[in-house]
Amino acid sequence: MQIRDAADVEAAVRAAIAGEQPLEIRGHGSKQSIGHAMATNAVLDVSALNAVTCYEPNELIITVQAGAPLDDVLSLIDSKNQEFAFEPMDTAVLLGARSGRGTVGGMIGAGLAGPRRIKAGGARDHLLGAHAVSGFGDSFKAGGRVVKNVTGYDLCKLLAGSWGTLAVMTEVTLKVMPKAETERTLVLRGLDDVTANRAMTAALGSPYDVSGAAHAPHPALRAAAQGLAQGLAQGLAQGSARGALAGLASTGQAATLLRLEGIAASVSHRATALAAELASFGTAELIGGAESAALWRDIRDVMPFAADGALGAWPVWRIVCPPACGGAFGQALARDTGGEVIYDWGGGLLWAALPPATDAHATMLRRRLAAIGGHATLLRADEGLRRTVDVFHPQAKGVAALAERVRQSFDPKSILNRGRLVRTSIS
Amino acid sequence: MPIMMPASDQLVLNRRDAIVADLRAIVPGEGVISSAAEMLPYESDALTAYRQPPMVVVLPETTEQVSRVLKYCFDNGIKVVPRGSGTSLSGGALPLEDAVLLGLSKFKRIREIDFDNRVVVTEPGVTNLAISQAVAHAGFYYAPDPSSQIACSIGGNIAENSGGVHCLKYGMTTNNVLGCELVLMSGEILRIGGKTAESAGYDLMGIITGSEGLLGVVTEVTVRILRKPETARALLVGFPQVEAAGECVARIIGAGIIPGGMEMMDKPAIHAAEAFVHADYPLDVEALLIIELDGSSIEVDELIKRVEAIALGCGSTTCRISGSEAERDLFWAGRKAAFPAVGRISPDYLCMDGTIPRGALPRALSRIRDLSEKYGLGVANVFHAGDGNLHPLILYDANKPGEMDKAEAFGAEILCCCVELGGVLTGEHGVGIEKRDLMPYMFSEADLNQQQRLKCAFDARGLLNPGKVFPTLHRCAELGRVHVHGGKLAFPDLPRF
Repeated sequence: MQIRDAADVEAAVRAAIAGEQPLEIRGHGSKQSIGHAMATNAVLDVSALNAVTCYEPNELIITVQAGAPLDDVLSLIDSKNQEFAFEPMDTAVLLGARSGRGTVGGMIGAGLAGPRRIKAGGARDHLLGAHAVSGFGDSFKAGGRVVKNVTGYDLCKLLAGSWGTLAVMTEVTLKVMPKAETERTLVLRGLDDVTANRAMTAALGSPYDVSGAAHAPHPALRAAAQGLAQGLAQGLAQGSARGALAGLASTGQAATLLRLEGIAASVSHRATALAAELASFGTAELIGGAESAALWRDIRDVMPFAADGALGAWPVWRIVCPPACGGAFGQALARDTGGEVIYDWGGGLLWAALPPATDAHATMLRRRLAAIGGHATLLRADEGLRRTVDVFHPQAKGVAALAERVRQSFDPKSILNRGRLVRTSIS
Repeated sequence: MPIMMPASDQLVLNRRDAIVADLRAIVPGEGVISSAAEMLPYESDALTAYRQPPMVVVLPETTEQVSRVLKYCFDNGIKVVPRGSGTSLSGGALPLEDAVLLGLSKFKRIREIDFDNRVVVTEPGVTNLAISQAVAHAGFYYAPDPSSQIACSIGGNIAENSGGVHCLKYGMTTNNVLGCELVLMSGEILRIGGKTAESAGYDLMGIITGSEGLLGVVTEVTVRILRKPETARALLVGFPQVEAAGECVARIIGAGIIPGGMEMMDKPAIHAAEAFVHADYPLDVEALLIIELDGSSIEVDELIKRVEAIALGCGSTTCRISGSEAERDLFWAGRKAAFPAVGRISPDYLCMDGTIPRGALPRALSRIRDLSEKYGLGVANVFHAGDGNLHPLILYDANKPGEMDKAEAFGAEILCCCVELGGVLTGEHGVGIEKRDLMPYMFSEADLNQQQRLKCAFDARGLLNPGKVFPTLHRCAELGRVHVHGGKLAFPDLPRF
């Protein structure tokens, strides 16, 4: 069935319910390889729902249909010098898709935020409203078009990061934010992961409004450089976004990055003050403007572990933990597995490329995470591995049961993206 | 017209003495209050127009007691109304005749301050302000700052997703809470989220926040704390027309400036506030903006210049810039005292809370003026202008027959107007009982059904805070039907209580 509007989605879902035919919801399919294989062979393609319904730069909001290409929407808001403050990552770098960055619906469904999450929040914090079709086949709306809204349950929070298992979003309203006038990055060299974590903690606890805190140990930088060389050889490099981080590898030292954004005078002042505050960790270099932006794109997209890079064949975990624990956790993980780790969110987000193992080190990784209160998603893995390992972090029994009741309250017959989140014996 | 509540369960009321005795076995000592005189302070929250003594008040001290109380009520089909500090302005904690009022006021210990992870783990009865005070020595604070922050509890903030003047830049409660310990109506104790930026699986914390005590009882909270900005300064800007002030707000945001706070008062509110706190507000203006900029001192100095230029361009007739903390506090003193100040110029007032798109501000104000004439009641307007959250204060005299009904009808029309202008029924006070019956104005039957299905996932028997938020109760079984066929209703004609 050709999907032209929300009514078509409703009709398609109702037909699927009547026929007990589960549906895979697909925009551009850019994130299709994340999660478990879906227990369905029918696709609900919403990519034709691609209109920008309303963009009001002065209200800082944009309303778009869920299938709108993210690249187009980003270009549109960029033309007004605005952006999604949560810096949605481009999963194509890590997953190897070549079809652009996917759709806005996919961005919300995945909810994968970039470095500015520590300051500006995630996708869930910027989704003001949505129209969607539930697994009952009913169109419903959640939220609204204003930033301050406590009318009824905040269903938008559930939709963000639900991987299409609760409802088919047809239209979303998102908060946009003005782009910072300028940005600069302080770089500290040669810190081990634990020390770098301490430096990032100090920076984030300072009054200087740090909007990015990341650390790339030297092996990860080297992997980035090798990946770049390999990519260039294959003619796959994608402009300046590929290589900023690799450029830091030449000194043979790890790099700890701290981003400051705002008006120029303020950024200079804060950079000086922050460098002084962190003097005990070493002398900070300053990287400005476009080069700084390219560095943070590389961090956001996990360029060192790019699919076409040196570690492209290794499974990649996305680990979220209490930020001050990140350094010690990642260092031990890399040491014990022979893998490589890069750190974002001041240590609160780890990307780990681990050498192949039967369970991708899942058991050990999750046992260790339980001790510090974190969770891990196997973001990149071949289908065979995803059949044997829980991609999404298994939850405590009571929470898992509640989450399942929540899912059923949207989709009792499990019509939507059946099997994507929870591994079952049949998937 | 009195607000209708769910019918009382006579069988439960008949067993009251036994229930009180059973609850005393769970919460010993003074934790169970059952005499009419002692229950008096609990018969309403801050929406004092509505009062209802509860069947019994229980004040547990531990999560285990909360769990046992809820399980007991679950097993015996007894309704439960959770309550924090009782500062809800929408009747969220209004008791029911046949329900246990579960007060969390004894949960007032901060359990952990973790500066490295920039979080505080606290019990729900701790006040919002106490969290900031506990971390102030290290230069940190908790960002959401509802006006009632000196009294309101963090648990209540989660129930209502509270905001405040700083939420334009720093977000509401939902943007600043990372995890909780939650007790379901069945008595089951769950841990959601923690010290991590995101939790695994569905964002359950996101749905619990703002759920108005209908989904579970929070017994521990993890909030993120922020380092205080280097400095904050404020501008006090007066305009000869309200529209010009609205235009100024739009231009500031349009220029890419997100102030730490941007508040607006109209003439009646300015005069009332000035008479009350003597903040030296200009009295010859129709609208006053208080715009606060925070960050590094260099940044604040620069942004003040830009904002001042924008204000002049919009025709401001006065513009004062705070030169000291004392002066900044004075600018705010009037705004923060606006509600009690208006209380001095009118025997009673009704505080409304709707949100509109910022650009619709002039249209909303002119509509409110028209309605003021229609109902013959005065109104003073106080807004969180930066995010379009309106607080019209409708002035009336409850001693005059029919005036309260008129004020309520006036308020309802304002909220419906907010929805018509692309906004919502409530920006920060919650739906509670106050706006419950207006919900169908904003949501279709399908929208409300989906919300109530979610409720069933947490509380299948509908025992937790019934009668709030939704204009009609549904049995979970009837909501669970999958409707394959059948048209949608154009406008739901829902049965009311």
